[in-house]
This record gives sequence, structure tokens and C-alpha cells, in this order.
Amino acid sequence: MGLKVQPGVIGCAIRPVIASRDRSLEEIIYDTAQMALKDAGLTIADIDGIAVGSNDQFDGRSISVMMASGSVGGVDRDIMSTPSGSEHAFILGALRVATGQFRTQLVVSWSPTEVSSMPEAQRLGNDPYFHRALPQDELSAHALQASAIENAVPGARSAAEAVAAKNRAFGTAAWGDQGPSGKMRWPLTPGMTSEPVTGAVAMVLASPEFIAERWIKNVAWVQGMGWATEAAFLGDRDLTKAPALVAAAHQAYKMAGIANPDGAFGVAEMTDATPYSELLAYEALGLCHRNDWTARAADGTFGAGGRLPVNPSGGVLTWNPVFCTGMIRIAEIAQQVRGLAGKHQIPGVKRGLAHAGSGFAMQYQAAVVLGQEARP
Amino acid sequence: MELLGRQEVWSITYDHALGETASSFYTRIRDEAAIYGRRSAGSGKVMVPPRSFSDETLLPTEEWVKVGPGGKIEAFTMVYEAFKNLPPPPYAFGYVLLDGADTALGGYFKGVDLTDPAAAAEKLKIGTRVTTKFAEERKGEMLDFWFELA
Repeated sequence: MGLKVQPGVIGCAIRPVIASRDRSLEEIIYDTAQMALKDAGLTIADIDGIAVGSNDQFDGRSISVMMASGSVGGVDRDIMSTPSGSEHAFILGALRVATGQFRTQLVVSWSPTEVSSMPEAQRLGNDPYFHRALPQDELSAHALQASAIENAVPGARSAAEAVAAKNRAFGTAAWGDQGPSGKMRWPLTPGMTSEPVTGAVAMVLASPEFIAERWIKNVAWVQGMGWATEAAFLGDRDLTKAPALVAAAHQAYKMAGIANPDGAFGVAEMTDATPYSELLAYEALGLCHRNDWTARAADGTFGAGGRLPVNPSGGVLTWNPVFCTGMIRIAEIAQQVRGLAGKHQIPGVKRGLAHAGSGFAMQYQAAVVLGQEARP
Repeated sequence: MELLGRQEVWSITYDHALGETASSFYTRIRDEAAIYGRRSAGSGKVMVPPRSFSDETLLPTEEWVKVGPGGKIEAFTMVYEAFKNLPPPPYAFGYVLLDGADTALGGYFKGVDLTDPAAAAEKLKIGTRVTTKFAEERKGEMLDFWFELA
């Protein structure tokens, strides 16, 4: 069943890496929000409400939206904030349009690298009772998951190496340069992850009524979306599976009227925090059973010119603005559907799939289906 | 132009209340050199580390269950960089499903030479049996115990 009021994406600004320090964080957020509004052909006067996603530890600002409200137009205007994930800010904005109470939403997320140690900032995400005594940051959680997957699935390592090579090739084609490689954290090699960079993303959503009224033609409609969360303690989870993403995909596909996801999309973006994350997503999204990971990774199914190109943007393995990588995946698919993805545009995309995973070993999972048709 | 930065160091101390359940977990480690979990009333699962309620059933847990000291490795990694207030690297840590438990407990692996990561990984292979070791002098904290190959 679809949403009562179907939101459409009418503007995007994707900035997966901001290397210069000539703008402060609040200025970066301002720039990014303005870029998305310009892409939509709107001004802040057209915006009914704002949803933002940010991480206080990374920002070094408690309740960081307090400082950022002014940057996104939140002064004397409706604004809500979530720290749980950038993709949750998108979902919040889409749901607010879907209520019929808002005709437009500006959604913004950002992820700076101003803290002296991202691993230490991430460790604060652990409970203070048991797990902060461990070196458990996001990279460690991903490494633990990778070790579990390697043990459970024969050939997973070679499949993961092929996925990493695919995404780095996509990244080179899209950006001409590679993001910095990550750290060694067994069994993850530096080439399987990337160091955090500063980035930001903004999107403008609108109702069908607003879109018709303004004669806006280039729209990526939200055909389906789902989201779910796994247990907080890694020891409670089966790290070789992604049940929250299975649930999220089921919800998204049901909303979009998709019975069989195989062949349903022209492009996908997935949160490849590691190539193992992408492999798990293939399975949870119903695109490739784990027994076929090695074969599909080798035969180019998910590569350039393949049956379903995954991460033509180069993914997180190319640029890793940690907190906003999930919403960037959604924005990338919106731009693919709108034909505005730039150098990494896949020709003829009518419908695409975004996977957003965040937190320790992808505790938070979301799937979003975007397409050119208002009602699939 | 010259671009400036402004460094700030905040030092704030939190005194987190552990509550009865986590307090008991640590005092038993300190006083008995033993790991205890809590059995969920709804599912019967023994949760380690212990919780006062199950986030699966949302029912209170009902009894203490002694687990381990033996168990098997469920996941592991090796870390080569320093973290604040933690032992000097390199070290290995991961999750162990202790005998009698239904969820895995995080902790450090000791007694394995980490200079050759591939060789160390072979010794720490998932499914490998380990045993829980306890420090001679225990403070009632996570670093009071670790895992070694059985």
C-alpha cells in the first residue's frame, strides 16, 4: 500500500567530499541547503518544514541543530532533527509530506571531520556499561561482521575483494580520484574501507499537488520505503545476516508494488561501508543469494554495464562522509532517476533502489525505491 | 588567505549509574571470578552481559545463570592503533558465546602472538574453543577478564 500523499524529490545537492576549510560547518550546511533549493527552483519561502540529521559527537556541538537551524532556514520555521541516521532525516521529511500537512520539506544532513579522532567519537555510541571498554568503533564493528561472514560463507573474501575493486573503479570513473583508503582492521584491508571525509547532502521533497501547481517535471517519486533497526549489542546479533534490512526491503517493495526485485531497478546505491556490507545488502534486498555472491561479483552483474549497476557513484568506498553516507545513497538514486547524476549517470534509469545502513555493523537499515512514475 | 582553526578540549566526567543488574555482574566478577547472565522470562534465553529486561520480549529477566568459563569464538578482529584508556595495541578482541549463554560477550583475546596477523587469525578462527581467564586483582570491570585458547 502506498503513502496517502506520495512525496517526490525535486531537488538535490550531493557533496560527498568537502576538502577545503574555507567555510565553517554552519556555512557548509548553508551552502548545501541553498544548492538543493536552487536545484529545485525554489527559495526557502517555499519550504513548509525542515528535517535534518546530524551527529553531535562528530559536530562537536551538543544538539547540533541548535547552531545549524539558521543555516537551513529553520529560524521561525518548522524544523525537526534526528541523530539516529541521515537516512532517517529523509524518511522523516518524506513522511511529513505524506501526512498531507506539509507540501514541501527541505532535508539536510552533514558529517564533518573536525574531531581529533573519529574512532573515539564513535566509541561514544557504545553503552557506557559494557562495551566502551572495548576498541569498538564503526570500523571494528564492520571488521567483526566481516570475520563472521567470511567464516559463514565460503568464497566471501574473494567476492568482497571483487566488490571493492568494482566500487573503486566506479569511483575513479566518477571522480577521477580516489578517496583515502581506510585502516587495517583484520580481516579488513585498507582498500576495503575509506577514511572519513567531510561531506553534506540536501534534498527537497514536495507533494504531488505542489509539483503540479509549479509545473515541476523532473521528479524522482518515492515509490516505496522501509526501515528497521537491529539490537544494539553486537553479541545479541547474528552478524552474518541483516534481518532489519530484510524487513525494510519487504516494507519498501510492498509499498512500491514490487513482487520480484530482480530486474525491477535500473541502478542501485548501497552503503558499502565495507564490501561485506554490500554483499549482505545484495542478499537482504533479494538481489543475490549468498551462494551466488562469488559468481555475481565475478561476472560483472553489479558492475558498469551489468544487469544492475550498484554504486556508480563509487559508494562509501570512494568517499566516506560517515554520518551522511546513507542519505547520499538516496540522493544519488534520486539524481539517477532525474537524469542528473553527472559523469556516473546510468542511461535510461526509470526506477532505482537506495540502501542506507548506518551504525555499528549497520544496526540501522533502510531501503528506498525512487522512480519516474508517480504511482508504480 | 590565512585560514584559522580553533582547537577545543572538553573534559567532562560522567558518573553513569550501572543499576542493580550490571552492578551485580561486575561484583560477581570481582568477588567470584565468574560470569553470570540473566534468563529472559519470555524466551528462556540467557543474556550475557545481563540485562534486567529482554529487548526481544520486553519482559523482565527472572534469574541469574552462571555461564562459561568455556565458550567459542563468534567474531573477532585485530586492532593496530591506540585508543584512549585502553591497553596498548596491537590486540585482538571479539565476541564469545560462553557455555550456557544465548548471546555473545565481548572481550579481549590474549595469549596469541599477533605479529603475524594471518597466523593469529587462524588460531582465533570462529568456532574455536576458548576459556575465560580472570585477573588476580579484580576491580569489577570489563578488563578483569579476557579469553584465551582452551
